[in-house]
Amino acid sequence: MKKVLFPLFLLSLPLLANAATASPQLEGSFKVGPAIILIAVLVLFIVVGIVFRARDTTDFYAAGRGISRVGSGMAIASNWMSAASFLGMAALMYGSGYHGLAYVIGWTGGYVLLLILMAGQIRRYGKYTAADFIGDRYYSSGMRAFGAVFAILISIAYCVGQFGGIGLMFKWVMGMNYTWSVIIGGGVVLFYTLISGMLGATKNMQIQYIIIILSFLIPLFVLTAKFDYLWVVPQIGYGSTVSDIVNGLPVNQAEELRNSLGHQFAIVPSPEFAMPWDPPTGMTFFQWVAIAFSLMIGTAGLPHVIQRFYVVPKARDARWSVVWGLFFICILYWSAPAYAAFGKILSAHPEVGKLAKDAIVVYTAQLGDVHPLIVGFLAAGAVSAAFSTVSGLLVAGSSAFAHDLYVKVINPAASPKVQLRMARAATILMSVIVTFLALQNFALIGQLVAVAFSLAGCTIFPLFLLGIWWSGSNKQGAIAGLATGGLVAGIAITYFVAGKSGLQLPYHHFVSYWLEAWYFAWIGAPLAILVNIIVSRFTKETPVEIRKFLVEEVHSL
Amino acid sequence: MEHHNDYHFSFFRPTTPNARRNRNIIVQFFLIWAVSIFGFQILLKVLEKPTPEASYFVYKEYWAETEKDKPDTGALRALGHTVLSVLGKMDIQPEYRDALDNGLSWITWSIADSTQREVLMEKVREFEAITAATDNIMAPSYLAKKEEVASLLAIILKLGPQDIRRDISPLSIHSYDFEEFGQEPREKLTQAMDLYLIHNQSILTDFSFLGFPFHYFYTAVFLLILFVGLCLLYCIRTDMFHRKYGIAD
Repeated sequence: MKKVLFPLFLLSLPLLANAATASPQLEGSFKVGPAIILIAVLVLFIVVGIVFRARDTTDFYAAGRGISRVGSGMAIASNWMSAASFLGMAALMYGSGYHGLAYVIGWTGGYVLLLILMAGQIRRYGKYTAADFIGDRYYSSGMRAFGAVFAILISIAYCVGQFGGIGLMFKWVMGMNYTWSVIIGGGVVLFYTLISGMLGATKNMQIQYIIIILSFLIPLFVLTAKFDYLWVVPQIGYGSTVSDIVNGLPVNQAEELRNSLGHQFAIVPSPEFAMPWDPPTGMTFFQWVAIAFSLMIGTAGLPHVIQRFYVVPKARDARWSVVWGLFFICILYWSAPAYAAFGKILSAHPEVGKLAKDAIVVYTAQLGDVHPLIVGFLAAGAVSAAFSTVSGLLVAGSSAFAHDLYVKVINPAASPKVQLRMARAATILMSVIVTFLALQNFALIGQLVAVAFSLAGCTIFPLFLLGIWWSGSNKQGAIAGLATGGLVAGIAITYFVAGKSGLQLPYHHFVSYWLEAWYFAWIGAPLAILVNIIVSRFTKETPVEIRKFLVEEVHSL
Repeated sequence: MEHHNDYHFSFFRPTTPNARRNRNIIVQFFLIWAVSIFGFQILLKVLEKPTPEASYFVYKEYWAETEKDKPDTGALRALGHTVLSVLGKMDIQPEYRDALDNGLSWITWSIADSTQREVLMEKVREFEAITAATDNIMAPSYLAKKEEVASLLAIILKLGPQDIRRDISPLSIHSYDFEEFGQEPREKLTQAMDLYLIHNQSILTDFSFLGFPFHYFYTAVFLLILFVGLCLLYCIRTDMFHRKYGIAD
């Protein structure tokens, strides 16, 4: 691998040196240094993928079940930290202050639920995919098919925000318009997924984690030092920035400090940034709670997250991998609010104008006059975060189609060659759909990804929760529950898309508020669980062999 | 061998003593998790009180002056400062920004004497022309013209050199807003003041911890530490539990 990368590094040195002297500008031109760093990082992932490629089916789906807890934790974190974590969270906090913290809490607190309610039990159940579990636990190939369909829909919804993030970063690096950036970025990620696929996926995820976290933290150390706060621990050091925003930062307290556009680090008192559900943000207490809750149960219902627990050797390893995974995730989640706070002060002057919130992480580093190559590395980290998640999701979605739908339901006699062809076709089709949706620019990255969480929370989460913890949940109850969750999701998403398209459906404001696309699971999930329980009570009970398996294998205490 | 309960199982009705102990561990951790997240947010909601910024009181005291035929210049100047305090915030909705710009321009014009008005009109028009002609906010000609307007406004509005509002004031002054401040923008301005200058605060938001407002530290930093800690403790406790009762994994 060194033989490949070292000449590439040498070739890029003159260009990197040139890029480092370029004048600071937020948008508009092709940026040589960041482009080279971005390409080098992508080449590294492909090389690692080829070196550590999967050698058989078990290797392909479950990485040989030989991953250490720390390694699995890193893979969980890398898989998890998408453009929504890297770019979207800071964007949400930059735009709506304390309200954005609902996303931080939702995307971390869900792991506690996942651990205490599911991780070990899922591993003991011993399947490969979420649809496998659903089909087996509810003894129905129809349920397996629906599980696969929802897994595909969740993957698509999740990918839309990622493509948006990739498009924004390609736009920033290449200096072209958003539409072409999304199309080219989407093409690159599709190419990357098709040639690397799950090859060496887990090893790649560990390397991706290191690149993502370093690229996120290095500019933050620099920014915190520039602000003259506690730079050694920027996750605590930025606290004074939050108070400065609330109380205002007079010119005389930051006279020597200027952003890259020449404005002093000063701001009028802006308590709306930190005060809970403050009126100017337009967000309410209910919305904060609904978002946090929906994201938490969505976390515990995402197929590609659940799937990670199948790759560890034992249930104990599954539990410990959550601890490590959450710790690695939290390193980034402790840091993201700092970008929002620094960005608020650095762009406080009205002359900076309206910035694309989803790129505020990169703009903050630029406005903070961080070295252009470090900003380039930051942008490469953002693309890596999106790539690692997208390729995982496209593979999960295409596997759900080829393995769970096509082979297990439609054509059981399909040869491995046909199965692979179907998986590739599904990957391409999903990419085209996702690109189209990303071009509609429906919402912020974080909000788009939250749609996938609410969808998972309404559909997959209730099936796993009841499937693991109540032997009485049967096929009929599962179908009714899934239909209920799917109906709530369908209504919420229909109103959301109609609203964005300028259509006013009946009770538009009521439905849009109580069933917003990024938090409809607050009611969808409890309803799905309730309906599942009621229908299961009044229909034929779960076959004894399933109940026996649950008692003796999954809950053998 | 048949199970005594015919293999019926549920979280709330565990079938063995060990399953009951395991259930109790889960319930304990779940309660800590739920109370620490949602309990704190509910507490924030219960304790919150709409709290105006200092500028809001000034605005309330002097707003009536704008209705008078001969308003007091000191009062108008104080009002101008409060309007600038809102304009300095980010993400002001365009409809409110227009009304605030209109109000500030009218207040400035009302305070200025005839000589100042002549110069003000000339400088502001020149600045508007250069703003329309360039996107480069770092161009020397733009910066020089902005400074000319800022200096003049600083004299009229009595803004000190260290006041951040001095630097942002030229961006909100428009020559077409000087003489007219109609009923509609007046109403919008009062709405903007109520919206942007009153905040949900409480004892939990007012004292600071490690530099943060306490509630912000609790949610953005502490809760994440708690989540990792809960997961760690749960794993340790489950391992101990499994060891103690000889449960195979």
